[in-house]
Amino acid sequence: MQDQHIASAFDRDLESVQAQIMKMGGMVEDAIRLASQSLENRDEELAAQVRSGDKAIDALEELVNERAARIIALRAPTAIDLRLILSVIKISASLERIGDYAKNMAKRNTVLAQLPAVSDSTGAIRRMCKTVEAMLKDALDSYVQRDAELARDVIARDEDVDQMYNALFREFLTFMMEDPRNITSCMHLHFIAKNVERMGDLVTSIAEQVVYLVTGTQPDEDRPKADDTSTKLKG
Amino acid sequence: MKDNVISEMDVTTDKIKISARDVQVYYGENHAIKDVSVEIQDKTVTAFIGPSGCGKSTFLRCINRMNDTIDICRVKGDILIEGEDIYDSNVDPVQLRAKVGMVFQKPNPFPKSIYDNVAYGPRIHGLSRNKAELDDIVERALKRAAIWNEVKDRLNAPGTGLSGGQQQRLCIARAIATEPEVLLMDEPCSALDPIATAQVEELIDELRQNYAVVIVTHSMQQAARVSQKTAFFHLGNLVEYGETDKIFTAPEDPRTESYITGRIG
Repeated sequence: MQDQHIASAFDRDLESVQAQIMKMGGMVEDAIRLASQSLENRDEELAAQVRSGDKAIDALEELVNERAARIIALRAPTAIDLRLILSVIKISASLERIGDYAKNMAKRNTVLAQLPAVSDSTGAIRRMCKTVEAMLKDALDSYVQRDAELARDVIARDEDVDQMYNALFREFLTFMMEDPRNITSCMHLHFIAKNVERMGDLVTSIAEQVVYLVTGTQPDEDRPKADDTSTKLKG
Repeated sequence: MKDNVISEMDVTTDKIKISARDVQVYYGENHAIKDVSVEIQDKTVTAFIGPSGCGKSTFLRCINRMNDTIDICRVKGDILIEGEDIYDSNVDPVQLRAKVGMVFQKPNPFPKSIYDNVAYGPRIHGLSRNKAELDDIVERALKRAAIWNEVKDRLNAPGTGLSGGQQQRLCIARAIATEPEVLLMDEPCSALDPIATAQVEELIDELRQNYAVVIVTHSMQQAARVSQKTAFFHLGNLVEYGETDKIFTAPEDPRTESYITGRIG
C-alpha cells in the first residue's frame, strides 16, 4: 500500500494527532518514573510536581479527542485510517488513566512521607513501576513502528506485573498482621501497588489497540491474568 | 454479533442470484475485464467500486447484455441468472432486460407523460390486459419508487418537467414496473443533490426486499451506506469481494486499502 494520501492535508492531520499521542506517552512515562522516585526517596516536592503535571496530560487527551472528532467529521476515514483514529482515541484515554494513577500515587507518597517507613516494600513497588514503564515504552514503540509482534510481547509481560502485585499483596497483609501500627502505611502502599497493577492493564490495552491497528482484528480475549488476590481469603 | 445489529436489516437470504464465471470483456484489442468470477446474492445490495476505467460499469453492463449494443465489444465466460446462461443463443436480450432492469447515471425519462414513462415497459411486454390493470401497475411502481405522492395529481404532465431527483426516482419506477428480478444501477445519484441522493438511497434499501440490486458508485461513502456486499475492481480485475463492513474497516488486499483510504485514484 502507498503511504501517502492523495489529499496531503489528510496525512498532516493524521501525523499531527499521532504526534500528540507520542507527546502524551512521554509525559506519562515521566509521571510514572517520577512518582516512583518520589515514593522511594520520600520526596514531597517531586510528588507535588507529578500532581501538578497531570493537568497537562488531561489537556492533551482533550486535544487528541477534539482532533480525532474533527478528522472523523471532515475526512470520513476508512480501513487503516479509521482504525488509526479509533486507536488514537482509545490510547489517549488509557494514557490519561495511567496519568491519573501516577497522580494518585504521588498524593499517597505525600502522606507516606509523614509516616515511618515499612520495611523495603517501596523498592518492590519501584521495580514494578520500572516494569510497567518499560512496557509502556515498548507499547508506544510498537505503535510508532506498527509492530504487532512487539505489542503481543507487551501483552504477555503484564503477567509479570500481576505476579509482583500478588507478592506485594501477601507482604502487606503479613506486615499488617504483625503490627497494627503498620496498617495506615500498608493501606496506602497497597493502593499504590494495586494502581500500578492497573497501569499494567492499561498498557496492555494500548498494546491490544496496536494489534488491532496493524492486523485489523482484536487480539484473543484470553490474555494472561495472574492477579489472583480477588479470590484470596488469606495471604 | 448479528443479534446486536439494529440499524441495518440483515441479509435475509444466501441464495445466489447472479453467478459470473471467468468473465472476459474485450473492446477491440483492449482487455477490459480479466477473468472475473463473482456470485451475487439475491435480496442484497452489492456495490461495485473502483477507480475510473477499472471495468466496474463494463461488468455491470454485461449482466443485462447492454454490451451487445457496442460492436467492438466481445464477452467471454458465463453469466448465469438463477442458473440460466444469459448469453445463451436462445435468450432474447429484450426479454432479459425486462428481467434485469437498469437505472443510469443521468435521469433519462422519455419525453412523454409521467404515466407513459412507467407504463411503457409493461405495455411492450404485454403485462396488463386492460387500462385498469395498467393503472395499477403504474401506481404500484410509483409508490415503490417513493414518488407517488409527489406526482399522483399530475400523471399526465411530462416526465422531463420533474426535478432531477424526481426524474431519477421516475426512472427507477420505470425500471421496476416490469417486475424485474435484478436491478442494476450505474451511478444513480451522481447527478443528484444530497437530499435527492438520500431519498434514492432510502429507496434502494427498500428495493432490496424484492430484488438483487447491483450499484456502481464512485462515492465510497455511498457504497458503505447502501450495500451489504462490496466488490472492488482495479485495472479490469476483481481485487476483493466481501462484506461491506469488512471491506471498509479491515480490507484484505493492500490495493483495496489504498483505494478506499484515498491513496490511489
